Amino acid sequence: MKMTKFVMAAVAAMVMGFSSQAVASGGGAALEHANIDVTDQEQIRRGLTVFTDVCMGCHSAKYITYRGLMAYPEIGLTREQVDELRGEKSLMSGMISDLAIEDAVVSYGKAPPDLSLIVPGRRGGADYVYSLLTGYEHDPEGKVPDGSWNKVFPGNRIGMPDPLSWLDHDAGETDELKQQAEDVAAFLAFIGDPHQNTRRAIGCWVMGFLLLLTLVLWRLKVEVWKDIKH
Amino acid sequence: MLDKIMKTDLFAWIDRRTDAGAIIKSQLTEYPAPKNLNYMWNFGSLALLVLVLQILTGIFLVMYYKPSAEATFGGFTVAFDSVERIMRDVNFGWLIRYMHAVGASMFFVVVYMHIGRGMYYGSFKAPRELLWIIGVVILLIMQGAAFFGYLLPWGQMSFWGATVITNLFGAIPVLGEYIGQILVGGFAVGDPTLNRFFSLHYLFPLLLAAIVGGHIHALHVVHSNNPEGIDLHKPEETIPFHPYYTLKDAFGVAFFLLFYCYIVFFNPQMGGYFIEVDNYVPANNLQTPAHIAPVWYLTPWYTILRSFESKLLGVAAMGGSLAILFVLPFLCKSAVRSARYRPVYKIMVIMFFIDVIVLGYCGHSAPTATLKVVGQIATAYYFLFFFALPLLPKFEKTKPVPEGI
Repeated sequence: MKMTKFVMAAVAAMVMGFSSQAVASGGGAALEHANIDVTDQEQIRRGLTVFTDVCMGCHSAKYITYRGLMAYPEIGLTREQVDELRGEKSLMSGMISDLAIEDAVVSYGKAPPDLSLIVPGRRGGADYVYSLLTGYEHDPEGKVPDGSWNKVFPGNRIGMPDPLSWLDHDAGETDELKQQAEDVAAFLAFIGDPHQNTRRAIGCWVMGFLLLLTLVLWRLKVEVWKDIKH
Repeated sequence: MLDKIMKTDLFAWIDRRTDAGAIIKSQLTEYPAPKNLNYMWNFGSLALLVLVLQILTGIFLVMYYKPSAEATFGGFTVAFDSVERIMRDVNFGWLIRYMHAVGASMFFVVVYMHIGRGMYYGSFKAPRELLWIIGVVILLIMQGAAFFGYLLPWGQMSFWGATVITNLFGAIPVLGEYIGQILVGGFAVGDPTLNRFFSLHYLFPLLLAAIVGGHIHALHVVHSNNPEGIDLHKPEETIPFHPYYTLKDAFGVAFFLLFYCYIVFFNPQMGGYFIEVDNYVPANNLQTPAHIAPVWYLTPWYTILRSFESKLLGVAAMGGSLAILFVLPFLCKSAVRSARYRPVYKIMVIMFFIDVIVLGYCGHSAPTATLKVVGQIATAYYFLFFFALPLLPKFEKTKPVPEGI
């Protein structure tokens, strides 16, 4: 049974390797933890409002359709609310910004990335989104103009102008702005994988079943093997 | 239960035409397996399980996946869109795709454990050399299939990973550039590459299924090794495969599924190890990711490649590090199989396992000067291990092996 010991040591070493290698964000400061709950309909809806009012000025989320805003129970808008949001656009249309990508490139020098997969697609996920939105500061070296310097963005120089007007905001607004950043991070975390809550819910049943199955097969194995001396 | 089925008229009808009863006897109910196999012998059946899962989930994914690098709105492509459609709009598409993506990594987990067991207990030694060699072929085809499959979502890491690896062929003298172009279907990774990789990603698992059949056939000719690494002569040392090992394997399968399903349902990206973060960003041939690394199961060989300044040497070493596995049965000359009775080999082989983990760590991390040296030392040990094996019997004092089990 010495092999068993070795296997356990190897597994421990691998787990340590997994955890110690966590995240290394390119240019910026350490990420702040975003307090989000992707099962909280209230928060996701508040995040949706921030998304449509602020983000969608430039960004799209093409994989989320207006129909999806009704169909996903985590958002659960009514048909009337969706009709108001979509205007002339089709129910099956993704949430596409009215700003053409070519115009955005002219104005900001870069195509605004689609936000459907921004949370799974960035190291740090929702924490990254939250920290980025609340990461606008004055360039310590005074070279980069205000609104283009962000402490967590790789390389610090960011094309996106401070969307929540975080820079030089009144002290009294801090909590509200942080809340907005968290809410939109929660919304984006949800749409990054819109079946994640279903997945976890089914997963609990699957794990419960497998625990029972493992237990039964283990006892059965022991019973059948009981006369084998080895 | 099996006995009851075998007594039915229907079975008798089939048996007269296929000799099924004799096959079941010789391969299951009277197939002699050593009675002392430990749980390290479970990984073979687990590998077969994952192969079947990969093929089944893959067949369903292909019903919805579209291999096209044609651009769509917002910098995406038809291929990327079709994967997201599977994740969002296909009923339980997310489950099938996560099972397939996690399955790829778990396939390597169980196969690496299986290979490690074979090395530790000397299962590759005579008379099982060919069984081992077929296994190495399976490993190479698996790595190829995984590499082709990783291109299909057409994310950043798909694209740049394929670019880096296919560029390697350019280092081979004379024919290299030509081989690279044939593989890529042009001068750079693009739509033709996606189409041929998709085709090969369907072909390779079919090859795997066939060769795994050969692997099992070869096993059933020479029979299983055992933790003591000795030949068995007495009938009381063996037990029939069914019901003893079918049940033990079934228990192993359930235990494995606990881990597999936990990852699938609760942590399918595995912190960026099973599905890399950058692969959620659509492929962009104008923007290189800050750090290109293959998925974890290929990183040990990536480190060996990077350990040499000369590209040609690196490619040769990487190819050599895999090719040397073929000749392992002929390098290792000791008459004793199991590491239990080979004190020096035991230390060497455990260091080899740690060495491969170190190589993997170096290949996954962003390159630094320290890691480069660590990777070079690990690469040196990787080869040293194999080259030292033929000399080992000259000074290793093996412990006496038991007469029986």
